[in-house]
Amino acid sequence: MENGNNHLNPCAFRIEDLSVRFDGRAVINRVNLEVCQGGPTFLLGRSGSGKTTLLRAINRLNECFPGCETSGRVCLRLGGEWAEVYAPGTPVELLRRQAGMVFQSPNVLPLSVERNMSLPLRTALGLPAEECAQRVEQALREVHLWEEVRDRLAAPATTLSGGQQQRLCLARALALRPEILLLDEPTASLDFKAARQIEDLLVELKSRYTLLVVSHSLSQAHRLAEQVFVLRDGGQVERLAENVFRDKEALLAAMDELV
Amino acid sequence: MTNGASFTEKAVCILSWGAALTVPAVLCTLMGFLLWRGVPGWSLALIFGDTAPLNALLRGAPVFDGLWPACLGTLALVALAAGIAVPIGIASGVYLAEYARGRSRQVFSFCVDLLAGIPSILMGLFGFALILLLRRTVAPAANTGLLLSALCLALLVLPYLISTTRLSIEGLPQELRLAGACLGLSHGQVVGRILLPAGMHGIFSGVILAVGRAAEDTAVILLTGVVANAGTPSSLTGKYEALPFHIYYLAAEHQSPAQLTQAFAAALVLLCLTGLLFAAARLLHARLEKKWKTGTTI
Repeated sequence: MENGNNHLNPCAFRIEDLSVRFDGRAVINRVNLEVCQGGPTFLLGRSGSGKTTLLRAINRLNECFPGCETSGRVCLRLGGEWAEVYAPGTPVELLRRQAGMVFQSPNVLPLSVERNMSLPLRTALGLPAEECAQRVEQALREVHLWEEVRDRLAAPATTLSGGQQQRLCLARALALRPEILLLDEPTASLDFKAARQIEDLLVELKSRYTLLVVSHSLSQAHRLAEQVFVLRDGGQVERLAENVFRDKEALLAAMDELV
Repeated sequence: MTNGASFTEKAVCILSWGAALTVPAVLCTLMGFLLWRGVPGWSLALIFGDTAPLNALLRGAPVFDGLWPACLGTLALVALAAGIAVPIGIASGVYLAEYARGRSRQVFSFCVDLLAGIPSILMGLFGFALILLLRRTVAPAANTGLLLSALCLALLVLPYLISTTRLSIEGLPQELRLAGACLGLSHGQVVGRILLPAGMHGIFSGVILAVGRAAEDTAVILLTGVVANAGTPSSLTGKYEALPFHIYYLAAEHQSPAQLTQAFAAALVLLCLTGLLFAAARLLHARLEKKWKTGTTI
């Protein structure tokens, strides 16, 4: 596996010896990973290999499930400073705003389009109404959704199409001004065209955010990735060299060998 | 074999239909019977007696021989009981659904189930015994009254509120919790801003159930301060009149058919009163839900 990554951006976060257990059963086991700024960095692996758990270990979302035990270290570079995710003093709410997340199926809240965007801004950040409206528009423009929803901000978010809902979720995370975006198979529940829109967005966003994408799609990784990791069933992570994932045949062969 | 199976299937089908139809049939019979017996007794005099209605409504003129004091008594009783039970019940339900873990959760749920199984007459007896205890110890002047009845009624309806709140919050999809958490909301904010409003529908049906139960219960108030003639309720510790007791009293002690008709008419009034309370609860629910979903009340 390739060792030097000097031509890549500086490191955005580092995972050391990370293990996550649910009710005593290890889901990921002593994982080490270094992800550089920008990206997108793709994390591939079979279903059930623990990709989602690994992703959720970064913003401590695993803790929302009972019986979860995490050991090891996760360090993020936030605002130029290194922050230790599992240190006792780390404010978890702040961490989750700075490492935003988008789920496999769009999880809009059962609220209007506008309230979906403004509820976290008003509640978590305590922003006044004006600044809130400004940020909502800015974030919706960033995901090219503003023109489509500007006349139906009061409509329930569930009336939007799947692709629009997923972009709304992306905008909702962006409105909180994160530095890192964790995307858990963001195109898996979308049709071809909506998936393309999200992919185009990833390319646009990579200059401003660090993107870590969990995906099943080899061709997506082949087209978009700057860095590819494979999570093996035993819980080890392998890094793929650039000449491997840039070449479709070599990527397929490598995946066959690894998972 | 196939014949046997299809026979069973048919029988189950017929039984299910029968069971499903029983509920509306019973309801219609009951309502029809009440209307048939009660409507002839309806008049303004039934509510206000000999007092002019506007005088009673606006100036608080005393009403004799009318249901008005009993209506006010029931309303005060329900408002007080709900005021005590609803906040405690919802808070306990939220605690059980979101915060309690392991042993404390088991113990607490067991207590709620136990409380739900206590007959209402026992709750009344408890209130009565409490007053006896108070009289012998710290407050020799303590007596049964409106507040004591409301307290005992609140205890009676508490388990409904706890269970419905708990069930409606536990039944919400996990995605809501995750969505809230990954947007940087604290657990308390997720509960207060997302889960409670999302489970509002179930919680309000619990409130409606509790209000109905508090409005109709006779056994509790019988031992804790209701009387046949007290006028409009004037203080928290004073005696009061209430519709269910009035109905019971009229039906049990009636001297003439006219008095029995009055009892049926009073039962209809009680039904209308609870109907109004339900409508108010639904209206409040609709407004709160709209406010949560769109951020506006209009």
